[in-house]
Amino acid sequence: MKKVIFTIFWLVIIGVGLKCCLRADIPEKEDNVITTPDISKIEYPADNKNIILNGFDYLQSQAPLGRFGGEIVISAIGEGPKTFNPCNTKDATSSAMAGLMFDGLLTTHPKTGKVVPLLAKSYEVNGNDYTIHLRKGIKWTDSKDITADDVMYTYNEIVFKGLGNPSAMDAMMIEGKLPELTKIDNYTVKFTIQKPFAPFLRQLSYPIVPKHYFKPYSDKGASTFNAFLNPDTNPKSIVSNGPFKLKEYVAAQRVVFERNPNYYKVNLNNEKLPYIDKLIYLIVGDTNNEILKFEAKEIDLIGLKGNNVARYKEKEANSDYTIYNLGPDTGTLFLTINLNGRKDKNGKYYVNPVKQKWFQNKNFRQAINYAIDRKSMIQNIAFGVAEPLFTAESLNSIYLNRNLKAISRDKVKAMQLLKDEGFEYKYGKLYDKNGNYVEFDLYTNAGNLEREALGVMIKQDLEELGMKVNFKPIEFNSLVNKLTNTYDWDFAIMGLTGSPLEPHDGKNVWTSTGSLHMFNMRGSSNADSYIYTWEKELDELFGNGALKLNFEERKPIYDRYQEIVYEENPVIYLYSPTRIIAIRKKIKNIFPTPLSGLLYNLDEIYIDKSCPAGTSEVK
Amino acid sequence: MGITKYITKRILQVIPLLILVSLISFFIIRLSPIDPLAELRLNPSISEETLQKEIKRLNLDKPIAIQYISWAKSFVKGDLGYTSDGEKVSVKLKERIPNTLLLTSIVIFLTWMVGIPLGIIAAVKKETAFDRILTVLSSIGMAIPSFFFAILLLMFAVKTGWFPVGGLTSYNFNDMNLFHKFIDLSKHLVLPVAVLFAISLSGLQRQMRANMLEVLDSDYVKFARAKGLSEFKVVFKHALRNAVNPMITLLGFEFAGLLSGAALTEYVFQYPGLGRLILEAVMKSDINLVMASLMIGTIMLILGNLIADILLMLTDPRTRKTQEAK
Repeated sequence: MKKVIFTIFWLVIIGVGLKCCLRADIPEKEDNVITTPDISKIEYPADNKNIILNGFDYLQSQAPLGRFGGEIVISAIGEGPKTFNPCNTKDATSSAMAGLMFDGLLTTHPKTGKVVPLLAKSYEVNGNDYTIHLRKGIKWTDSKDITADDVMYTYNEIVFKGLGNPSAMDAMMIEGKLPELTKIDNYTVKFTIQKPFAPFLRQLSYPIVPKHYFKPYSDKGASTFNAFLNPDTNPKSIVSNGPFKLKEYVAAQRVVFERNPNYYKVNLNNEKLPYIDKLIYLIVGDTNNEILKFEAKEIDLIGLKGNNVARYKEKEANSDYTIYNLGPDTGTLFLTINLNGRKDKNGKYYVNPVKQKWFQNKNFRQAINYAIDRKSMIQNIAFGVAEPLFTAESLNSIYLNRNLKAISRDKVKAMQLLKDEGFEYKYGKLYDKNGNYVEFDLYTNAGNLEREALGVMIKQDLEELGMKVNFKPIEFNSLVNKLTNTYDWDFAIMGLTGSPLEPHDGKNVWTSTGSLHMFNMRGSSNADSYIYTWEKELDELFGNGALKLNFEERKPIYDRYQEIVYEENPVIYLYSPTRIIAIRKKIKNIFPTPLSGLLYNLDEIYIDKSCPAGTSEVK
Repeated sequence: MGITKYITKRILQVIPLLILVSLISFFIIRLSPIDPLAELRLNPSISEETLQKEIKRLNLDKPIAIQYISWAKSFVKGDLGYTSDGEKVSVKLKERIPNTLLLTSIVIFLTWMVGIPLGIIAAVKKETAFDRILTVLSSIGMAIPSFFFAILLLMFAVKTGWFPVGGLTSYNFNDMNLFHKFIDLSKHLVLPVAVLFAISLSGLQRQMRANMLEVLDSDYVKFARAKGLSEFKVVFKHALRNAVNPMITLLGFEFAGLLSGAALTEYVFQYPGLGRLILEAVMKSDINLVMASLMIGTIMLILGNLIADILLMLTDPRTRKTQEAK
C-alpha cells in the first residue's frame, strides 16, 4: 500500500517537473512586436477656442461630444501624495495631483509644444514685456472670482519669495534679478523682465492659487506654508480652480477627485466639462501590484514595460483595452566617464593619474562608444521596447539634432582608435603607452535591475576590447554621493529625466559650474581649473541659447551643443525606453501625443458605457 | 502591594534600555552611507540654495551627537518631528497604526481561538490519524515562506476575481452603507489574514501540543488519572492550567509584533500598515520616522513582556511566590 502511494507521489512530482520544462508554457518571441508608433494615424481635434457666454470667458474644447458621468481609476506608484499644496510639490505624484486641482496661466500645447493660454484668455509678448489677459467671470471652487489679485499674490508673495518649492523662483531668476509684475486692471497683469530670456514664458504655467485662501498661511512664513495643505487637510476646505477638486484621501490607499462644477472649460454644446464625475488614483507600492490590479480590472490604465508589452499586445485583439505606443520618453540612460583632473583638499587626485590619461583622451572615450552594443541591449534588456540614443537631448525633444548619425557597434574601429593612441595588446589584454593594464571600476545603483543588466553587458563589451572592468553596483545614495560629492569614481551608469521642450533645463548638467556636471565636477573653490575648451563652448552656448527667443534662432545653438557631446563623449547615451500604455476601450476622447502622453485632457475624456466590457478575459 | 512595586521596578528598568536602543539605532542609521538628499541632488532643476535649505531643515550640518540630543529632547516632550518630506511623523503613524492593529489583532485572535484547542486535541489524541494530519499540515504551514504564500493567494484573487487585489477598502468605500462597508472590509482582509493565520497557527499549535504532552506525562496527571478523575477534568482542570503558562509568555512577544508584525505580507498585499511605512522610511534614511517606529516597537516589546509577566503571576502561584520572596 505504502509503495503504491509513494510511486504515485513520485510520478506526480516528476510529471509536474516535466510540465514545467515544456516549451509551450514559455512564449518565446524574439521579434519586435511593436515597431511603429500607432498614434501617427490619430486625428486630433482642433485647438481650444475662447468663447463668451453670458459675459463669461469660457474655453471651448473642440473634442467630440461625450457623455457625462462615470469614473476612471488609475494608479499612482509609491507612497502617494506628500502635499496638495501646488506651490510645494517636490515629487511627481504630488505635482500631478496638484496639477489636476490648480491651473496655471499658460500651458503647453499637447501636440506642438507651443505655449498656449489656459487660465489666461490670451497673452502678448512685446520686447521684455509679457502682458496677460485673464478670463472674466471664472470662479474658484468657493464661487469667488479669479482676478488679477490672485495672480499678483501667487507670483509676488509665493514664487518671488521662494516659498514652498524654491525651484520656481530659481527658474525665474535672470542674472540674479526677478521679473517685475504690475497690475494693469482687474483682469490684466504685466511681467517685465530685465533682458530677453527664452525659458521665461514657460514658467508662467505655474499654478495660480486663491489669495483669500492662501494668504493667512503664506503670511506666517515658510514652515507654516510648507505644512499647509498636507495630505490630512479636510478636502472640503480646499479652494482650487482646476478641472477636478479633492474629494477624499486615504493614506497609502487612494486619492479620489471629483469634477469641479465651476470649471471654465465647456464642450461643443457649451455644457461645462469635465465629463467624468470621479477620478480615482489607487496608490500601489510597485509595478507588480499594478499589473495585478490591471488584470483584475481594478484600474483602467497601465504603463507597460519590458516583456509585458509582447504579452499584452498578443491579447489586445480580443480584450477590453487598446495599447498605445507614445514613442520614446524623456528619460535617458547613459554611461558617463569621470574626466576630473583635480585634487582634493589633501592634495590627492580624485581620479588615479594613470586612469586620468585614458579618461581624458577623446579617442579612448570614442572607442568606448564604438564598443557598446546598443542593439543587443535593447533586445535583451528592454525586450525591444526602447530606441537607441546618441544625443544629449531626448528623442522626443523638439530641439533634437537629427543630423547626428547613429553609431553601430564596430569593434575593429574601436581597437584601431585605441592603437592610434598608443595602447597595445599583449595576449589579448590592453595596455597603455606606459605599460599600465587598462582596468577601471564601473558603478551603478544596486537594485535597479535594468541598470545592473546594462552594467553586465557593458562590462562584456569593453572586455572584448581587452579592458578589465570591475562592475560594482552600489546603493543609490552612495552612488549619488560619489558623483556629486567625493568624485572618486571611474565609469557610472545613470539615468536622468529631461524636458522635451526646454533644453535650457539641462544647464545643471552641461554648464561647467552646474550642480550635476558629473563628468567634471568642481567644488565652488576651484571653478575655473581644468576646464576643457569644449566645456567653455558649452558654457557659452547655454548662455546664448537662453537669450534668444525664437525657436529658429535657438535651434542651431542647441544643435551645436548636442554635436559637442556627440563628439567628445563625456556622456555616452545608451537608449530611451518607449512608453507603451494600455487603456480600457470604454474610455473615449483619447488623443495621445508623444509630448504630453495620454491623460493630459482628463476634462475631455468620457466613459462610453455601451462599450462591451471585453469579450475575453485577461489572464 | 507586591504587584505595584514589581511594576514600578520594571518600568524604571525600561528607561536605560530605551536610551541604549535609541542610541544604537540612531547612530547606525546616521553612519550608514545613505544620503537622505540623494534624490534631490540628482534633480536637475534643484539649485544649490535649495539643497542648503534642506540640509539646515534636516539638521544634517550639525555633528551627529548634537543631532541625537536634539532628537531625544523633542522625543521626550512627545514631539516625534517631521519626516524628510515635511509631514508630521505622528500624523503618518496615526494613519497607519489602526490598520496594522486591525490586521494583527484579528490574526492573533483567530490563531489563539483555533491553535490552542487544536494543540490540546492533538496532544490528547497523540499518534492518531488526526494528530498525524495536523503535524503534516503544520509542517507545511511552517515551511512555506509568507511572501510566497501571499503571492500565490494574490494570483488566486486575480484569476478568480473573488477577492480584491490588495488594499484595505474599495475606492467607493465612503459611499457605502454600514453593512456593505463591513463586507468590503472583510473581503479585503481575508487574504492577508489567511497568510498570517496559516503561518502563526502552525507554530502555536505545535507549541501547545508539546507543552500539553509534557504535562500529560507528568506525575500529578498520572496521579489524577489514578485517582479516577474523569478524563475531561484531568485534561482541562489539571493539565491545561500548567500547559498554558508558557503560552502566556509567548503572548507577550506577540503583543510586541502587533505593530511591526507583518511587514512582508503587508508589502505584498499593499496593505496600508506600519510595516510598509517603516520599510520605505529605512530605504530613504528618514531618521525621524524610523526612530519613532523603532521606539514604539521597543516600548511595545517591553510592555508586552510586562503584561505577560503579570498575567503569569496571576495564573501561576509559583512565579508569584518567587517574586514575593525577592
